[in-house]
Amino acid sequence: MTTDLNTVPAMPPGERARVPLSQRLQGLGGNTRQYGIFGALVVIILLFQVLTDGKLLLANNVASLFQQNAYVMILAIGMVMVIVAGHIDLSVGSVVAFVGGVVAVSIRDLDVPWVLAILIGLALGALVGAWQGFWIAYVGIPAFIVTLGGMLLFRGLALVIVGETVAGLPASFISISKGSLPNALGFVSNADVVTLLVGTLAFVGLLVSQLRARRSLRKHNLHMEASGLFVAKLVLVAAGIAILTVILSFSAGGTPIVLVLVGVLVVVYSFVMGRTVFGRHVYAIGGNRAAATLSGVNTRKVDFWIFVNIGVLAAVAAVVTTARAGAAIAAAGQNYELDAIAACFIGGAAVTGGVGRVAGAIVGALIMGVLNMGLSIMAVDPAWQMAIKGLVLLLAVAFDLINKRRAGS
Amino acid sequence: MTADQRVPLVAMHGITKRFGAIEALVDVDLHVHAHEVVALVGDNGAGKSTLAKMISGVLQPDAGMIEIGGEEVALPSPQAAHALGVATVFQDLALCDNLDVTANLYLGRELRSRFARDDGRMEESARRVLRELKSRIPSARTPLRNLSAGQRQAVAIARTLIGNPRIIVLDEPTGALSVAHTAEVLTHVQRLRDLGLGVILISHNMNDVRAVADRIEVLRHGRNNGTFDAATASYEDVLAAITGAVPLGRRTSSRHIAG
Repeated sequence: MTTDLNTVPAMPPGERARVPLSQRLQGLGGNTRQYGIFGALVVIILLFQVLTDGKLLLANNVASLFQQNAYVMILAIGMVMVIVAGHIDLSVGSVVAFVGGVVAVSIRDLDVPWVLAILIGLALGALVGAWQGFWIAYVGIPAFIVTLGGMLLFRGLALVIVGETVAGLPASFISISKGSLPNALGFVSNADVVTLLVGTLAFVGLLVSQLRARRSLRKHNLHMEASGLFVAKLVLVAAGIAILTVILSFSAGGTPIVLVLVGVLVVVYSFVMGRTVFGRHVYAIGGNRAAATLSGVNTRKVDFWIFVNIGVLAAVAAVVTTARAGAAIAAAGQNYELDAIAACFIGGAAVTGGVGRVAGAIVGALIMGVLNMGLSIMAVDPAWQMAIKGLVLLLAVAFDLINKRRAGS
Repeated sequence: MTADQRVPLVAMHGITKRFGAIEALVDVDLHVHAHEVVALVGDNGAGKSTLAKMISGVLQPDAGMIEIGGEEVALPSPQAAHALGVATVFQDLALCDNLDVTANLYLGRELRSRFARDDGRMEESARRVLRELKSRIPSARTPLRNLSAGQRQAVAIARTLIGNPRIIVLDEPTGALSVAHTAEVLTHVQRLRDLGLGVILISHNMNDVRAVADRIEVLRHGRNNGTFDAATASYEDVLAAITGAVPLGRRTSSRHIAG
C-alpha cells in the first residue's frame, strides 16, 4: 500500500514541554517584525533625544507630538484595514477638507451646535465611504481608480463649500485638538494627577486583557508563551506607559484630549481586526480573495464596510484637523492620504495585502511624527526634512522585504 | 456490483446537464455509501468535475434526482450542500496563505462567543481534527505559507471535517503534488473512510485510485461507462472503459491515453 498509517499526530496533548526549540523560535519569528518596528521607534526617539540635546522628550514637545500627529494615526487605522484587504484609499485628504468644511460651515453659518455638527460630519463621512464602497465592492472598479476620482471629487466639493477660510469657531470645539483633560485632581509636585490616573488605568486595562487572553488559552489547554517572556513583555510595556505618563503629567495641559481619542480608537480597532469575525475576513480577503469567496465569506459586504469605516475615520480626522487649525480651509488635508499610507507601510503592512496591524500603523505614524519633530527642533530645512522622510519610507519597506525574503527561503 | 443493501449516503439518478448545445452529463447514476471511497475517473471533459459540482451545490442538474441519506434534496448552493453534510475540496485550493491553520479550517464559519471570535474553541477542535487525520502539521497556529504542498492539501481535507460532514468530495487532490506528498494525502483519504464518511475522489491518476478506492466509476463523454471493484479490476479494463477502447485493441486506445 501507500505509506505507514502511524505518522506523527499533529499535536500530542500535553505538548508544552515537547515543542521543539526550532518551532518555538519560529513562533517568535512571527512577531519579530512587530518587535522590530517598536525597536526602530525607540532607536529613533533616542537618536533625536541626543541630537536635539534632550529637547525632543520635553513634556510640552511630547504633548504636541500627539496633537500634531493625531490625524495621521486616526487615518492610518482606517488605512491599514483598507491595505490589509488589498485596496488603497487616495481620497482621505480630500474627504478631510470636504467634511471639515461642512462641519465648520454648519457651526459658523448655520448656527448648528458644534456637537451636532460633528455628528453631521461623521454621518457625511459614512456617506462618502458608502459612495466609494459601492463602486468598489458592488460595481468592481479598483479602489485606486474610485478613490483617485474621490480625491478630485471631494477636493472640488471642499472648494465649493469653503470658498474662503471659515474661521471663528467656538473655543470648546477648538479644544478637541488643542485642549487637554481638565486637571481636576490637582498636582503632585507639578505632575497632573489626572494624567497619572489615565496612565495607570491604561496599564491596568492592558494587564487585565492580557491575563484574560491567557486564561482563555489555559482553559482550552492551548500553547501559551513562557510565563517569563509574558512577564518581561508586560514589564517593558509598563515601563513605556509609565515614562510617557510621567512626561505628559509635567506638560502644560496634562493629557491631550486627542491622545485619549486615539487611544480609544486603537483599542477598539485592534479588537476589531484581531478578535472579531469581521477582522478575520478582512485578512482573508487580502490573503486570497477567491478562497475567501469560496469559503462563504461575503467579500463584497466586507469591502463595502471597510470603505464606510475609513470614511467615518476620515471625518474624525477632519474634526481634529479643523479644530487644530481653528478654521476650515479648502486646502486642508493636502497629502494626508500619503502620510497615512506611509505610516501603514513603515508599520509593516504588505503592499500585496493580507498583512498589517493597527498597532504597527500607529508606530509607523509615530516614527514619522518623531522624525518631523526632531528635524524641526534641529531646524533642518523643510526641503531636506521631506527628502529624509522619503528615504526613511523607502528603507523601512526595503528592510521589511529583505527580512521577509530571508525568512521565506 | 457491490452487495451493499443499506441506504446509500448519496444517490444520484439520471443526472443530465447541458451547457448550451454541449451535453456534459447524460442520464448518469452514482451512489456512495458510508465507509466507502468511490473514485470517479474519466478522460478530460468526461464530466467528472461537473458531477462533483452538483453534489457540492455549485451546479444544478437539468434533469435527474439527488438523494442524501435516502431523501430527495435540492442543492441550490454550496452552503445548502454543506448544511446537508457535503463538504468539498476544490481543485484550486481555497486557502489563505496569510492565515494560520485554525483560521483556514474555520474560514467563513467562524465560531463566536459573546462579542468576538471564539479562538480558543476553534483552535481546540482544529487540533482534534488534525489529530484524527494524523496529519504532520506542526501546529494549528502555523501560517499556511510555511506549509508544504502536501500539508496544505491536508489542511484542505481537514477543513472538510469541520461541521461533521457525511460526504466528502475531493476534486483532484493529488493533482500537483510530489510522490511523497501524494502518499501523505492518500493516507488522509483512507482516514476519512475510517472515520465512517463517504468519499468521492476525482482523479486522473490510476495508481492513486487503485491505492485508496473501494469502487471505481468510469465516466465517458458524460455517460456511465462501467463500474469496477478496485481490488480486482485490471488496469487495462479500467483504462479501456475510460478511453472507450476494446480491451484488446491497444493500437486504437494509445492516442487517447496521453491526457
